Amino acid sequence: MKISRKYYLSILILTFIICPLFNFGQMRNARKKADKDTRSWRYEIEGVSQGVQGTYLIKVWSFSKRNKVAIEQAKKNAVHGVIFRGYQGSTKGVRPQKPLTKESNLEQEKEMFFNEFFADGGKYMKFVSLTNNGAVSPGDRQKLGRFLAREHKIGIMVSVKKDLLRKDLEDAGIIRGLNSGF
Amino acid sequence: MKSKIISIFVLLFISINLIFSQAKKPSIMIVPMDNWMQENGFMTKINSMGEEISYPDYRKATLENSDLINVISKVGELMSERGFPTKDLEASLKSIEAQQAEDAMLSSKSGAETSESPIDRLKKVAKADIWMQVNWKVITKGPKKKVDFTIRGIDAYTNNQVATSSGTGEFAMGVEPVELLREAILANLDLFNGQLLSHFDDMFENGRVISFRIKVWDDWDYDLETEEFGNEELGILIEDWMGDNTVNNKFSTVDATESMMFFDQVRIPLFNEKGRAIDARRWGNGLRKYLKTEFEIESKLMSQGLGQVQLILGSK
Repeated sequence: MKISRKYYLSILILTFIICPLFNFGQMRNARKKADKDTRSWRYEIEGVSQGVQGTYLIKVWSFSKRNKVAIEQAKKNAVHGVIFRGYQGSTKGVRPQKPLTKESNLEQEKEMFFNEFFADGGKYMKFVSLTNNGAVSPGDRQKLGRFLAREHKIGIMVSVKKDLLRKDLEDAGIIRGLNSGF
Repeated sequence: MKSKIISIFVLLFISINLIFSQAKKPSIMIVPMDNWMQENGFMTKINSMGEEISYPDYRKATLENSDLINVISKVGELMSERGFPTKDLEASLKSIEAQQAEDAMLSSKSGAETSESPIDRLKKVAKADIWMQVNWKVITKGPKKKVDFTIRGIDAYTNNQVATSSGTGEFAMGVEPVELLREAILANLDLFNGQLLSHFDDMFENGRVISFRIKVWDDWDYDLETEEFGNEELGILIEDWMGDNTVNNKFSTVDATESMMFFDQVRIPLFNEKGRAIDARRWGNGLRKYLKTEFEIESKLMSQGLGQVQLILGSK
C-alpha cells in the first residue's frame, strides 16, 4: 500500500495542531490541580529572614507535575499562607508569624471574594513578588513519586507585602483591623 | 418630596448613631522596661517617708540614650500605621515638668509637700491605657552582634499583661546595633499586635475590665454594713447592682469591710442602653445615680483614665 505525500502532510499538520492543544490542556489541568492544592493547604511555608519594612521574606514549597506551574503557584501559596496559615520561625533568628486572620472558616465564608482574589492574574499578584527572578536553587528542587505519579516539589523565595495586603483586606471588610470598633 | 425628607432624616439618624456607637479607643504609651532602665543606669532613688525607693528616670533616659528615642519612634511609627498613634513620652515628661513648676510655686505658698511618685505623675499626665514596655540587650561575640528584644503590653489600670513578644536575632557582623534593633522591632511587632487584637476582641465580647473602689467619708452617719436602706446591708445592695450591670455578672469582690469595698476584674459593657460608648466613669455614674434615687445617698465619683473609678459615699 502506497501512502501519498498528501496524507503525510495532513498527519504532520494535525500533529502540529493537536500537540499544543494537548499541552495546553495538560497545563490547564496542572493549574487546576495546583489551585486545589492551595485551597487544601498542600504547600509548605517557612520564614527566610526579616524582610524590608512591610514585607515578609518567605520560602514556599509548592507541588506540581510541571515546574512552571509550581513556580507560578508559589505566589498564590505565599499570599494564601500569609492570610490563613502564618509560618514557623527558624533557628536563624526568624520570628514565627501568625496568619492575618484567626477565623478558620473565613475562606469559606467569603468564598466569592477569595475566588476572585486568587483567580489567575487576580488581585493577589499585587502583594507578592518572586525574589531572584524566581530562580530555584538546586537543593530546592525535589522529585517525588514514580512514573505517572511523579511530581515536583519546588521551593521558591518570595516577598509578600503583608502591610499592604492587611490594609487591603481590612478596607474590604474581610478581616478586622487593630482599630476596628473604636 | 415628603418621603425624600424622611429618608434624609433616617440616614442622618443612622450616621449619628454609627458615630456615637464607636467604643473609646484605648491610648498607648511606649516606655522602656524597669530592667532596661536599671541596666543602663537610669534609675533614681527617692526618699519616701524615710525609705529609699528606686524609680525610673525617663527624662534622663530620653535625653541621654539615642537608641531609646529610635526604638520609641520606630514602634510609634508602626503603631500609627495600624491606626493606633501612641502618646509621646517626651511630651508627657515636659508636661510633668511644667506641672511640677506650678506645684512648687503652690507648695511654697501653702507649705504642703506633694506625696506623688514620679510614676504616678506620669500616669496622671499621660493617661495612657496600655503601656507598651520595651527592653533590649545587644549581645556581642567578637566582631558579631545580635539583639535580644522584648515588647510587653500592660493594662495601666489592672496591671494585667495583655500582649507580649520577644526574640533573639541572629549574630551579624558589621551591622550597627540600631539596624539590629529596627529588625527586632519589625520581627516582633506583628506578633504583639496579633495578641493586642485578641485582647480587644475579648473586650468587645466580654466587656472592658476595670477596677472599682467604694469608700465612705469619715463624717458620714452610715457605713457599708448599714441595713437601713433595704432588707440587706448596703454593701450587699451594691453587689447586687454590680451583678445587674456587669457583662454576664462578671466581677470579683476583692475586699469588703464596713468602710470600703474593692472590686477587681469588673467587666463593664462598652455601650450603654442608648448605644453610647461608656468608660468606667460613666458606668460608675450609674451606681451613683442609683444610690441617690433609690436611697437618697449622695456620693462623689472620681476616675482615673478609662479603667479605674472610685465612689465615695456620704457627700459630694
